[in-house]
Amino acid sequence: MSDSERRVARGGPYVGSPIIMATVRVVMPFVFTFGLFVMFHGADSSGGGFQGGVIVGTVVLMLGIAFGIETTRDWIGTRLPVALIGLGMLAFLFTGIGSVLLGAGFLEYAVYGDLGIPHASKYGIEFVELAIGLIVAGIVTGLFFAIAAGTKGGESA
Amino acid sequence: MSSLPALLVAAPLLGSVLALLAGLVRSETGWPVALVTAAVQVAGAGVLASRAFDGTVSYVVGGFTAPFGIELVVDGLSATIALLVAVVSLAVLAYSRVAGPRTNAFYAVYLLLVAGLTGMSITGDVFNMYVFLEITGLAAYALVASGEGGRSARAALKYLIVGTVGASLFLLGIGYAFVATGTLNMADLSTQLAAVGYTEPLVQAAFALLVVGLFVKVAVFPLHAWQPDAYAGSPDSVSALISALVSTVAAYALIRIVFTVFTVDFLQANPVARSLLVAGAIVSIVFGSVLAVSQTEIKRMLAYSSVSQFGLVVGAVAVANETALIGATVHLVGHAVMKGGLFLTAGLIATATGAQTVDDYEGLIQRLPLGAGAFGLLALAMVGVPPAVGFVGKWYIALGAVEAAAWPLAVVILLSTLLTLAYFARILERMFFRDASGERVAVDGVSPGMTGVVVAAALAAVVLGMLAFEYGQLLEPTVQALLS
Repeated sequence: MSDSERRVARGGPYVGSPIIMATVRVVMPFVFTFGLFVMFHGADSSGGGFQGGVIVGTVVLMLGIAFGIETTRDWIGTRLPVALIGLGMLAFLFTGIGSVLLGAGFLEYAVYGDLGIPHASKYGIEFVELAIGLIVAGIVTGLFFAIAAGTKGGESA
Repeated sequence: MSSLPALLVAAPLLGSVLALLAGLVRSETGWPVALVTAAVQVAGAGVLASRAFDGTVSYVVGGFTAPFGIELVVDGLSATIALLVAVVSLAVLAYSRVAGPRTNAFYAVYLLLVAGLTGMSITGDVFNMYVFLEITGLAAYALVASGEGGRSARAALKYLIVGTVGASLFLLGIGYAFVATGTLNMADLSTQLAAVGYTEPLVQAAFALLVVGLFVKVAVFPLHAWQPDAYAGSPDSVSALISALVSTVAAYALIRIVFTVFTVDFLQANPVARSLLVAGAIVSIVFGSVLAVSQTEIKRMLAYSSVSQFGLVVGAVAVANETALIGATVHLVGHAVMKGGLFLTAGLIATATGAQTVDDYEGLIQRLPLGAGAFGLLALAMVGVPPAVGFVGKWYIALGAVEAAAWPLAVVILLSTLLTLAYFARILERMFFRDASGERVAVDGVSPGMTGVVVAAALAAVVLGMLAFEYGQLLEPTVQALLS
C-alpha cells in the first residue's frame, strides 16, 4: 500500500485519480437523466420522487468523491441544498393549498383540470413527485456535506 | 373553511419551510416566523375544536374516499390534543426567544414537530399515524441534539435508537393488522378486525406489537430508558416542549389504537391484553416514582416523574370505562401543562441562580421567590392537591378504577399520590424550610417572556382544575362513542 493510499484510508486529504474523474464526467449526465426518468415514473408505474431524488443526489456524491469534497462544496455552496429542500416543500404545499383555493379539498388534483390542464390528476401527482425528488436530493446532498465536515463543526442545513 | 383539518397540518409545515428559507437571507430570523405560525395554529385548532365538540369532523384528503384514501377524523378527544399541541408550542416560544437555541434550523424543526404531533392527533388512518409518528420522532431527536456539548448528542442518539425500535414495532403491528384485514382506515379496521375474530393469533399479535411500540414512545417502565437522558440532556425549552407533548400524543395514540381500532370488546375477549396494560401501568407508577426519589438532578427527577404519571394514563386505558377515560384525557392535558411548566420553571431557576440539583434548591424562596413559588405550586398540583388539575385527573381515574372493581389498580393509583408527594416533598422542604447554603451565584438572563410563561403555567394548572369537571361533561359524548 503506497503512502497516498494510506492517507486516503485514514480520511486524509483528497487525492485525485484521473480514471475516476474521467469516469464520473462520462457517467454523470446519464445518472442525472436516469434520476429524472425514475421521478417521472411515480404516477403510474414503479419509480417516484424518493428513489429518483436519491439518484440525483448521488450525482453530487460522485462529484465529491472524484473532485474532492471541499472543492465540490465550494462549487455548489452550502445554501443550495437548503434552498432545494425549501423549494420542494413549498411546491408540494402550494399544490395542496392551491386546490383548496380552487374550491376543492386539500391535494384534490382533479380540480386543476378546470384550469385546462389535461389529465390533471396524473400530472398533479407527477408534479408532487418532482417536488419530493427535489427535497430528497437536497437532503442527501446536505447530509453528505454535513457528515463529510465531521468533527470540524460545519453546519450545512 | 371545510379543509381546516388538512390545513392544520399544512400550516406548521409551511412555517417550517419559511423558517428554513428565511435563514438563507438572514440568520436568527426563525423565531418571528415560528411565533406567527404558532398563533395561526392556535386559532385554527380553536375553531376546529369548537366544531368537533358539536359533532365529529371527518375529512378525506385528495378526494380519495375512505377506506382507500387517507381520512382525517376529529372528535372531542383529538381536538383537545390538537389544541393542546398548538397552545403549548406557542407558550414555549415565549420562553425560547431569549433562552432558546436561536438558529433557524431549530425553529424549522420545532414547527416540523408541531406538524407531526398535530397530524398524529387528527388522523383516522393507522399508516398515516405511523408516518406522523416518525416525523414527530425524527424532529424530536433533532431537537434533543440541538443542545450544546456531547451530553445532548449522546441523549439524542440513544433516543434515536430506542425510538426507532418502538416505531418499527408499531409498523410491524400495522403490517399484521393489514395482513389480517386488508385495510388501514381506523374505523374500517375496527369492523374488519371484529369480523376476523378477536381471538385470532394474527389480531392478537397486531395488538401486542402496536401497544408495545407505543409503550416505548410513551416511556412506560421498563421501556423508558431513552426518556430521562433525552429530557435532562436537551436545552430547557426543548425539554419542556417534548415532555409536555411527545409522550402525551403517543398516549393519545394508544387510546386511539386500543379503543377506536381494537375496541373494548377486544379487551374483553382477551384478558391477557388487559393484563398487559395493567402490568405496564402498575410497574410504571411504582418504579417511576421510586427512581424519581433517588435522583439528585432536578430535570432527571422530573423525567422519572413523567414515567410514573403516564403509568396512570395507561392504567385508565386498562380500566376502560367512561370515568377513567375522561380522567385520562384530563390528566394528559393537566400533565402537559404541569410538567411543561415544571421544566420551564427549572430552566428559569437554573438560568437565574445556577441551581440544577435537589441540594442546590435549599432556601430558594429567599433567592428567587417567584421561581420557588411557581415550582411549589406546580409540584403541589402534580401531587394532586385540589383544586389543581392534577387532582381532577387522578380523581376521575381512581373513581373509574373503583367503578370497574379493578382493586389492585385502584390501590396503586391512590398510592401514586403518596409516591408523587415523596419526591416532590424533598424539594418543597428544601426550597421553603431551609436556609440558603453557600454564597449567591449571580447569573442573569431571565427575560419577561420566561417569567411570564412560568407564571401562566402555574396559574393554568389551578384554573384548568376548576374548569376540568365541566370539560369532563363536555367530553362525555366523545368517550361514549369511543367505548361503544
